[in-house]
Amino acid sequence: MAHPIIKIDHLSVRYDGQEVLKDLSLNIQKGKIIAVIGPNGSGKTTFIRAILGLIPYQGMIQIDGQPVKASLTKIGYVPQAFSFDRSIPMTVGEFLTLSFKKVSPRKLKRALLEVDMRQYENHPIGSLSGGQFQRVLIARSILNDPLILVLDEATSEIDMAGSKSFYDIVAHLNKVHETTVILVSHEIQMIYKFADHIICLNRELICYGKPKEAITKEVLERLYGQDIRFQEHRH
Amino acid sequence: MFHYPFMQRALIAGILLAGLFAYLGVFVVMRRMAFFSDGIAHASLAGVAAGVLLSVNPLITALAASVLFAVVMFFLERKTHLSSDAAVGLIFTVGMALGVLLISLKRGYQPELIGFLFGNILMIKSWDLWLIGIVSVFISGSLFLFRREITLMSLDPEMAYLSGIRTGFFQLALYIILAISVILGIKILGIVLVSALLVIPVSISKLISSSFQKLVIRSVVFAEVIMIAGILLSYLFDLPTGAIIVLTGAVLFFTVFVLRRS
Repeated sequence: MAHPIIKIDHLSVRYDGQEVLKDLSLNIQKGKIIAVIGPNGSGKTTFIRAILGLIPYQGMIQIDGQPVKASLTKIGYVPQAFSFDRSIPMTVGEFLTLSFKKVSPRKLKRALLEVDMRQYENHPIGSLSGGQFQRVLIARSILNDPLILVLDEATSEIDMAGSKSFYDIVAHLNKVHETTVILVSHEIQMIYKFADHIICLNRELICYGKPKEAITKEVLERLYGQDIRFQEHRH
Repeated sequence: MFHYPFMQRALIAGILLAGLFAYLGVFVVMRRMAFFSDGIAHASLAGVAAGVLLSVNPLITALAASVLFAVVMFFLERKTHLSSDAAVGLIFTVGMALGVLLISLKRGYQPELIGFLFGNILMIKSWDLWLIGIVSVFISGSLFLFRREITLMSLDPEMAYLSGIRTGFFQLALYIILAISVILGIKILGIVLVSALLVIPVSISKLISSSFQKLVIRSVVFAEVIMIAGILLSYLFDLPTGAIIVLTGAVLFFTVFVLRRS
């Protein structure tokens, strides 16, 4: 078997003396779409931030055989929301080129085309809807042809139609570029449709496998508590 | 009026500083650091007072104090749970208190001190002009050279970090650059008003710009117009330079605001 694109060994994260993630070990193979689920406060965002090297952690994380800090440019990241002030006058084109030393106009146009935003290159970012802006963030994250695309609840502020289109774009990138995708999401139906594997977290690893096999009644109870009702739809 | 050497010096210094302040102001507005620059300016009173007390050029002692305060603020933000405005508030008041204490040790009226508080174009000597010129060119050049890094870091430090930018280094550099620039501006605008030139031109430009490039260029143009008009009006009507420059900027801001809405 090929070496994993992400190798995580005994990952633990503590905040103010409290263990937020405990002894997580798993390997993620290249070209897969991995969904991360869990209740609020289960450590999903902490898990993502550790992979991105944004927080200190114990244990080991390797990206394509290298430490995280040496691999940042191999990762594209789309957060739930960026903290910056979108009222700053800046066009989509300016915003996209800012993150990289050199971006050819052709590459910029291609990235925008892939997320169906080609005509918005000269639009101010402040004039975009939530869904359009998330697509621009995907375009930004794919400009340097990343090996891994990390999406942290990236559809939480967009409507259902926008969310569907967002996942279609992600699936397209995964298929065409073989980009490994890690996405945090609460949209179980989308996960069933798009994810190859699922990681269930509740401060520790509860399950890891194919969605239909990994999500069981017991797993959902361990994730969301005893009150959860497991309803299986058969169509 | 242009044959007077002090007016020539004031105009040259004003033109150099206006460009620098406008460019820096873009990052100040993006990072929401207006209070930081105001705090540094006020805290520099300690440095000015130390200079007056020790009979050393107060501009030099103010520069040293402001850089020290900027570094302390940077580490307070990083090493404690203090929010940025709390750290600025702390340094702001400590610097002012220290300044007042040092001033009280010197007996008699201190006209130089009043000039530093409210700005005075007569105060710009040849030596000051050289200092302003060299430092302005160096800082503007550095900002231009590292514009991508500083812009991205000002927009979102996390995004900058993930793009491989050393955010800690650039943030500290921006703090120090801002502190030095603010001190260079206090001879014209005064401690009380100097941060206005960082905010007003960008705020006017923001009203009418749709791209970042236009925001920067228009900020510089507005800053130059405000500075030159302010210095000339101040000379013609014998009014305080700092106050006139700020009020000229405010009039321009509201004019653009009203015209844009109508």
